[in-house]
This record gives sequence, structure tokens and C-alpha cells, in this order.
Amino acid sequence: MTASKKDTLKNAVNQPSWLTKMWERISIVFESKVALVGLIIVLFWVTVAIFAPLLTPYTPTEQDYTAQNQGPSRAHPLGTDSLGRDIWSRLIYGARVVLVMLPISESFWLPLGTAIWGVLLGLIVGSTLGLMGGYLGGWIDEVVMRILDAMMAFPVILLYMIIIAAVGASATNVVLAIAIVGIPGIARLVRSLTLDIRTRDYIRAAETRGENPWYIMFVEILPNARGPIIIDAMLRVGYAIFAMGTLGFLGLGMPPPSPDWGSMVAKGRQFILSGSPWAALWPSLAIASLVVGLNLFADGLREESLRYQ
Amino acid sequence: MSSEQVKHAPILKVKNAAISYETRYGDVEAVRDVSFDVNRASTFGVVGESGCGKSTVAFGIVDFLGANGKIVGGSIKFQGRELVGRSESELRKLRGDQISMVYQDPMQALNPSLTLGTQLAEVLTIHRDISRDEAWQRSIGMLQRVYMPDAANVMDRYPHQISGGQQQRVVIAMALLNNPALLIMDEPTTALDVTVEAVVLDLIEDLKRDFDTAIVYITHDLGVVARVCNEVGVMYAGEMVEVGSVEKIFGDPLHPYTQGLMRCVPKLGSTKESSTLYPIKGRVPAPKDRPRAACIFAPRCDYAAERCRQEKPELFDYRPGHQSRCFYSDDIDPSTWEPPAGLVSELALPGNGKQTPDQPILNIENLKTYYDQESSSLLSLIGMGEKLHVKAVDDISLSIPEGKTLGVVGESGCGKSTLAKTIVGLETPRGGEAEFLGFDLSTPVSERDVNLIKELQMVFQNPDSTMNPSYTVGHQIGRPLRHLGKVKKGEIREEVHRLLNAVRLDGSYYKRLPRQLSGGEKQRVGIARAFASQPELVLCDEPVSALDVSVQAAVLNLLLDIQREHNTTMMFIAHDLSVVRFFSDYVAVMYLGHLVEVGPAENIYSPPYQPYTEALLSAVPIPDPTAEQKHIRLHGTVPSALNPPSGCPFHTRCPRRELLPDNGAICEKEEPPWQYNTEEHRIYCHIPLEKLRKFDPVVTSR
Amino acid sequence: MLVKDYMTRHPVMVDPDMSIVEAQNIMSETQVRHLPVTGEGKRLVGLITRQRMRIPPTELASLNVWEITRFLSNLCVRDVMVKRKNVITTTPDATLEEAAKIMIDNKIGSLPVLEDDIVIGIITEIDMMTQLTDLLGGNEPGVRVTIRMPNRKGELAKATGAISDQGWGIYASGGVKTPKDPDHWDCVIKVRGVSQEELVNVLKTIEGQEIIDVR
Repeated sequence: MTASKKDTLKNAVNQPSWLTKMWERISIVFESKVALVGLIIVLFWVTVAIFAPLLTPYTPTEQDYTAQNQGPSRAHPLGTDSLGRDIWSRLIYGARVVLVMLPISESFWLPLGTAIWGVLLGLIVGSTLGLMGGYLGGWIDEVVMRILDAMMAFPVILLYMIIIAAVGASATNVVLAIAIVGIPGIARLVRSLTLDIRTRDYIRAAETRGENPWYIMFVEILPNARGPIIIDAMLRVGYAIFAMGTLGFLGLGMPPPSPDWGSMVAKGRQFILSGSPWAALWPSLAIASLVVGLNLFADGLREESLRYQ
Repeated sequence: MSSEQVKHAPILKVKNAAISYETRYGDVEAVRDVSFDVNRASTFGVVGESGCGKSTVAFGIVDFLGANGKIVGGSIKFQGRELVGRSESELRKLRGDQISMVYQDPMQALNPSLTLGTQLAEVLTIHRDISRDEAWQRSIGMLQRVYMPDAANVMDRYPHQISGGQQQRVVIAMALLNNPALLIMDEPTTALDVTVEAVVLDLIEDLKRDFDTAIVYITHDLGVVARVCNEVGVMYAGEMVEVGSVEKIFGDPLHPYTQGLMRCVPKLGSTKESSTLYPIKGRVPAPKDRPRAACIFAPRCDYAAERCRQEKPELFDYRPGHQSRCFYSDDIDPSTWEPPAGLVSELALPGNGKQTPDQPILNIENLKTYYDQESSSLLSLIGMGEKLHVKAVDDISLSIPEGKTLGVVGESGCGKSTLAKTIVGLETPRGGEAEFLGFDLSTPVSERDVNLIKELQMVFQNPDSTMNPSYTVGHQIGRPLRHLGKVKKGEIREEVHRLLNAVRLDGSYYKRLPRQLSGGEKQRVGIARAFASQPELVLCDEPVSALDVSVQAAVLNLLLDIQREHNTTMMFIAHDLSVVRFFSDYVAVMYLGHLVEVGPAENIYSPPYQPYTEALLSAVPIPDPTAEQKHIRLHGTVPSALNPPSGCPFHTRCPRRELLPDNGAICEKEEPPWQYNTEEHRIYCHIPLEKLRKFDPVVTSR
Repeated sequence: MLVKDYMTRHPVMVDPDMSIVEAQNIMSETQVRHLPVTGEGKRLVGLITRQRMRIPPTELASLNVWEITRFLSNLCVRDVMVKRKNVITTTPDATLEEAAKIMIDNKIGSLPVLEDDIVIGIITEIDMMTQLTDLLGGNEPGVRVTIRMPNRKGELAKATGAISDQGWGIYASGGVKTPKDPDHWDCVIKVRGVSQEELVNVLKTIEGQEIIDVR
């Protein structure tokens, strides 16, 4: 016992602390300029979304009939829309729904945004299906994959519209739609990773120990597939934001008057030619920058992690 | 040619070459101070363990080092011309015209989307004014030259349609169509089976003679070196530590590292009772840890003196044409070498005195394991097609006595691994019986009793995939303890430390992740995990074949120690016949899912032989250039297990059929009988035992 | 006895654009006197020899020391080589005698061996000399006897028959017409494992033949 205790003590000295380990993980971001640029853009939106009430004197629904369709000014840094609402406030409150909070009802909301919840839900279901298909194989694989193939046959936007039209537009339903649309892709990715990992000797070692299939799937296989899954998830958050914008534009997003980027573009669209493009321009830019930021971040990470594999 | 070879200058002269790689931690010197000459019609072998810079040297010759590698010093002269500092276009011309390379993986050199004929003929037509037809004919000629069966038809096939050995022959043929002055071969036979390897090595030998090509041959296998090389350079940690003719390197090794390597490899015929393998202590230092002003081998050397740690030895001519990078090569006599204390455990003594009567612990009767394969007809799409079976294990009967080791040998695809998987429950047998400690083994592992699972564990081949990269060593060794409930919850940590100790790893490994371990260490952890539940039977599926020789020796010793301590029974699957001979008490030879010979190890390696065993033994490269080996080569390829030959499975390739009346007509019709040479040694062959007994032994050392 | 069996395969070759200085270095490094000049794919474009590298004295006289250095460093193989159309070559399947005859007729020291215009080897006077010594067993121990025999059928058989009757072995032999005597041939035979007297005692019994040299 004393010997092993001594060993443990020695380990404590030799092993880097978790802080340095974390730092090593994070420092990979700084290796890639692309990932760093992406991260800065994403962090910008996360920060303004979290601190939204502190960054603007207006609420997103406050109307000022004296100042409609104005350009940027000292009072309204990005201008106002046709109802005289401050665009900057609407943008950053809109970012909240996307990135940091999910309103379930009037008074109750969950942390993390709609897009993120949607992807997380998709990940949980998609990974499980992918693991089952890839590891258990046989008829389960056949059935699961055929159903998912059928889902993939629909154009993504059509699928969104069908789901939202069926269950109605609300934040939780958007989460549901994002999850359902994401499941086939996630499941395919996880399945292909599983097919590769299941041939490794450590899986066979677990099988010879008589481990339960669920243990093998979630404890032995899933952690080793995490790298590609995380990167894929980041890209998916980008797609989800894009999809939310589209749904909002088509009037299937958050119910008005909540600040939804897509519906902001839709509302502002008619005034572009009448000389006040601001109401449509800013939310479009917001969607674009966030999606591009996430993509850059994911791409940069993927390249860096491949390089040092 | 003999008398005038002397007058020719060497084709390749490498002098003090140094090669570095740029990394994000700065330049790392992978190779330094390497000097050697390669003469025409001669093979220069570069041997060493992995990470010693062998391949870097080979790629450095033609500056194929990739974007981050560069030659930082020394000179490389090809035909009198300096190659270092040449422009890319000049080097490309040389590579195309006068220097060819053959890689370990033939698919690297073949384009999968073109037929072999197109690729071969293109080599000729690109520079010469000859018609496509003539180029085609010549390519066929060259394929015949490399003993490709059915050469004309092979021209129309795609690379994936021929076997690995044939692919390698195509690559060699392609390299030779240019008639290069220098051929660089980087482990060209490592991925091949012994019988195929033997044919390719013969081919290299013939081609060297007929085309006067100079060859740089890179390998880790001392047996291959002894067979094909004229001159040998031994590399260690990026330096050439000994250079000399093959006879001298093997007969009178001067450098302590070379001597150490020789002690690591079992000679064909040596056994665990009669000899011991002595691993070299420590491990190869990483490039950034290599001392500049000291002997690089000193930390692992048994003779290291003060001078070795303060001064760097140069390659010194101790004998004519035989150099060693050591200060004391004249004073060191390997025959008086004594293993330092602690290198080999005291348990490794011949015989553990526990001579139990041979009670079989595992009994297998007529075991069959088939894989289903749908035929490719339309009917099978709707489930009505004819079911085909790959008969991976067909009708195998054997038993292992308690505390003994059964070695299983055979070429890849012969069903060795399937046999192990069936026993351990990863495959379900189609027929036959298997019994172990009173348990029935015909159920898959998911339906087995936990008490059976506990007693039956496996050690895997690939050190890189034997451990889950996401968890620490301690967690992974602890898992079977936790899962199989062998020890109490609170004592798991202590037990893991005890197991780590047993595989000679200290406690600091508990928290390490697999990527922080070397291959040998991973394999030790794999062994610790397998032995955690204190099983009665351990199946080892090629546990050492992916390891370097010095590590291999250590792992084999470890397995022997643990076996002796716990009286564990083992099944040891390997393709290296010297290792199997060393390690096993009994040996089973498999061919195409069938057992063809089984018996005590000493009986397998001496006549009477089953003809396949004889062919296998004569193909094994022996690390002794003076040994006489019978020259038996198998032609053709292993038939498909989907449609195995009738009668004796080996009749299509058997070189001994003519011993039977009618050139062995019976072999095609009837399955051979089991002939008992002794009670334990049986042979599956039609040829009467009296005739088989008259064969000469395959290997005779002088 | 074909060229392909006796030529030097993989000869040292140079590029046409290589500088003369470098070609000279290669010659001294490898101790080779004839360098085939090859282009892409080892296609022959010329030949360069030691003599070719010398600068004609007339040209030299007009230059001073500094100019010589510059002249040399600017000169490349293409400028001094024998051009392709003037290079005499042979093929791998030619006999050794054919190759030798070409070399004698043209008074040249080497022949590049070509297959489809691609250099696969070179055969030089040194190779020829080596073959001559090997032909007559020059590098082997044994007794060398020269016999002058009449130019008739069966004469050589008498000598070799006598030797083989004794159980001795011949491992090199050659014959030429006796200089200035068309009616006789001089035959050199090298025999292993005998003393000079034993061999002479056997051969001198043969009618009409004369031993002119034993060593």
C-alpha cells in the first residue's frame, strides 16, 4: 500500500495539472488563424447576447413613432425599423434566442439558445441511432438507415416547413425541427465512425470481457468518435441558425413581436428600395457573420486536429 | 563480371549524411553522420529498429523527404555525381531514369483505376519511340521475368484483382523496366506471408545478378538481411553504428548494439528450455534527446565506460571493410557476455518443476466456423440465392494440456485468428464441439457464464489499437476487475498496481493515456488487462509481430514469466516460426482452415514433415547467413476458402505430390488420413510416413 | 559471348547541360574515361571522352590565365561532346568479335550499347582485354601450353583427347593462325592439376604437333 501511495504522490508531481491540460487543448485554436477569427466572431455574438440588457437602453419591442425607418444615428446606432424599433436592440435580443436562451413559456426559459438545443437534441438521438446501426448491425441497421435515407430524400427547407407547419411556430418547435432535420446526417456520421472503431482490438477486448452492447457503444466507442462529432456539431449550429433565419423570413419563426432575425429581414425587405435598407441589411449581416464564424471555427479546428493526429 | 567489379567505383557513396525534419518545436535531426557505399550488383542492407531513421536514409538519397525534411549536411554521390543540393528537376530525372523505389505497400505505387498493363507499358512508351504493342510485349516479358504466373492475362487486370505478393512483383517489374542503376527497397516484403516473401526475396537475388543493379534494402528483419544482403549497415537512433559484410556482421558483430540485437531473436530451433532471449534494456531515445557529444548507445550499453558518456565515437575500421562506432569493439567479447541483474527475471529458469500429467484443459472436436457470403446473383437480392460459406475453420480437432502452450502457425487467411475468435466466443461455431473446464464453448460470448469469461482471455496483435485511446491505463486494467468482480471494490486500485508491477511497469503509468506509451508498453498493458481476471487460458493473437525485436524479446519473456507463475495455459498464434518454436510446447500448422500437422514442437521442426510444414520452414528467413536451408518454394496462391479444393486442401500447391503414384491423383479425390508418427504427433497427408521420414531436415547450420 | 554479357551495365552518364568541370570531376571520381551523354530517359545524345575535354592549343594560345578559367567554367558538355550522329554504337545482341571489329576499324576505345536509342551499357577496350585474359585463363592457376599444329581437321581433338584421357581438365583454350605460316595454327591450352613435365610427356607423343611454349 505504501508503495502505491508513493507512486500516487509521484504521479501528482509528474502529471500536468488539469489546468495545463485544458490550456493545451485550447491552445490548438491559436495554432490556426482561421479558427481564431471564427472564434472571435462567435464570441462577439455570445457576449452581446448575454449582456444584451446592459448594451442598449431600449427593449426590442419598444416602438418610437417619431423615428421610423431611420439610418444609424447617435440615439439608434444601427437605425430603426418601420415601427420605430431600435434595430441594435432587436439584433442583440434576437441573438439571445439563437445562442443563449430557449424560451419555453412566457416566464420560463432554459440556458443555451434554440439553435444549440436543436443540435444537442439531434446529437443525442442521431448518435444513438448511428451507434446502434453501426455496432449492432443486422436488421436494426437496415431499418434505421432506410428510414433516415427516406428523410434525407426531402429537401431540408421543405422538411423544416412541413414540421413547423404541422406543429406550429414556437421556440420549442423550432428546436424540434432542427433536431429532426439534423438526425439523419448525424446518424450517418456516427455510424461510419462506429463501423471503423468497432474493428479495433479494444472493442474485441471489451467483447471478450462479456460487456453489454450499450456499454461498448457509449463508453468504448462514442468517446473515440467525439472529435469529428464535435466539429460536425459546430457546423450544424451554423446551419441551424441559417435555417432559423429562413423560417423567420418565411413567417414560420418566433411569433411576432419577438426579435427574430429572419422576420426582421422579411419586414425590412419592402423598404430597401424606398431608401432605408437598414432594417433588412443588419439582420442579414448578423446571420451571415455568425454562420461564417462558426464555419471558420469548425474548419480551422478540423485542420489543426488532423495535422497533429 | 567477377574480376572486374573491383575496378568500378561504388554506384552510391553516402558520406556523413545528416537529415533533419522541421517541426513546430524546431528542427529535429533524424539522421546524422551516416556513411556507406553501395556497389553494383550488390545489396546493401540497412537494419535497425523502428524510429532509427532507416527509411529517412532511403528517402534522403533521392530527397523524397516531404515538405518538412531536408538534408542538412554530408554528401550523397550517385555515380560520382553529388545529389545534395541538386534542383528538383534534376533529381526527378534521376529518379525516373536511374533510381527506382519499391515501397512496403505496393498499392502506393500502383494506380487503382488503370490496368496493370497500361501502367507498365507507360513506363516504356513515355521516353522511347516504341509502339504500344511492343511496349506491351516487353512488359509481359518483364512480368514473366519476375515469375508472374499467367503474365499476359495479368496485364488486363486492375491492381486490386491480384494478391499482395503479385502486386509487389508488378511494382518490382515496373521499377526494373527503367533498368535502374540503383534500386531502393523499403521493407518490400514486410507485408507479405513467409512463403510469398521467400519467392520475392529469391527474385530480388536473381534480378541483382542479372541486371547488375545496386540495391539498398531497408528492413527490420535480421533473417531477411541474412538472406539477401551482401553488405549490412546497422542503424541505431539515426546513426550507422556498424558496417560490414553480412558474414562479418552475423559472425563477428563488433558493436554492442548489434550483439544485443542478435541475442534478442530466437534462432530457428531454440526453445524456451534451452535458451533465453535477452532484451536490450531501455529504449531508443527520441531525436531531441540524443546526446551530441557522447556515444548514443551508452545508456543502454552493458559495457559503457566514462569515456562513452563524454566523447562521441567515430565509425572506426576495426577489420578490413568492417567498421564499428564504438571505442571498445576490440575489447568486447560477446561470448563472455553475462546478462546484467534484473534484465531477465529469476523465474525464467528451465522447467518449473511442476510436471503435472498432461491433462487437457481445452478440447476441440471437429470444430467448424463458417462465414456466410451471399452470392452475387439477382436471386440473392430477394433472399433466395445460393448461400456460400467461407470455411474459415473447417473440421479442427485439438487439445491443449494444462499449463502448456500451443503455437498455431500458418499464412494469413488460413483461419488462425478465426479459431481463436471462436474459442473466445466472438464467432459462433457452425458445428463440432469445444469444451473447456467443463464449459461448452459453442455459445457466443454474450450468452456465456461470467465464470467462463473470467477464465478465458485474449491478448491482441496491434499495440496501437489494443487500448482505448480515451481512457487511462489504470482505468482500462481496472475495468475487467470491476466488471468480472474478481476483487473487492476498494482494492481495485491496489490490484491494478500489482498487475502493472507484474508487467514491469511502474506505478506512474496508472494515470497515463495510451498515446503517451510506446508500442511495447501498450502491449504490456494489454497483457496486464488479459491477466487481470487470472484466467486459465489466454489466447495470444500475434502479440509480438508488430513489435521491434528487442521489445519483442521483452514481451515474450514477460509472457513466459506470467505463465510460469500462474501455470496458465496459452494458445499462441504467430506467423514467425522461430518465435513459435521458442515459445510453444505444442505446435499446430494450419492451411486453408484445416489442420495439417500437430504435435510437440520438436517433432514439427524435424522430419517427418507434412509437405506444407516443410515448405513453410524452408521459407523462413533465418538470421544466420551460414545456415543451409532447403529450397522449396510454393507456387500459385492460396485457393479461395469459398471454394476450397477437394480432397487434400494443399494438393494444388503441394511440391511433394510426385511421391505418390499417378502424381498424387488420390490427393484430389480423397481427404488424407491422419497418420500418427507418435501418439501426440500426427500428420494429415496421403504420403506414407516412411517416405515422409526420409526427408532431410530443412535447416542445417554449419 | 555476346556484348550484353560482357558490357558494363549502368554506365556513369552525364547530362548535356552539365559543366565541363563537373564532368571532369565525375571522371576522376569514378575513374571512368568514356561518358555517354544522355537526355531525358537515358536517350543517347553524345559521348564525351578525356581527349575531348582538352582544349585545342590554338584556342588556348589566344587566352590569358583568367580567361581560361572563365572559358572553362562556361563550357558545358554539349559544346565538346561527340554528337549523336558521329557516335558509333552497338547493340546488346552483337557478338564480342563484332564489337571488337567496330572498335578496331574506327580506332575508338568504347562503344555505348543501345536498345531503342536508350543507353543500357557501355563496352570498352578494357572489357575486351579482360575477356582476352579470361579466354586464355590468365587469371587462373595451371599449366599453359602452346602447341603448333597443322591446319587440318581433327588436330585439336588429338591434343584435347590426349589430355582428357589422362583425366585432366581444360578450362581455357584459344587458337590463332600461326603468324606468317598459313599451314599451322597456334593453340593455347590451360590445364589444371598437372605438372609441366607430365603435360609435356603426354603431348609430345602426338604426331605432327609441336610444343612451342610451356609455362
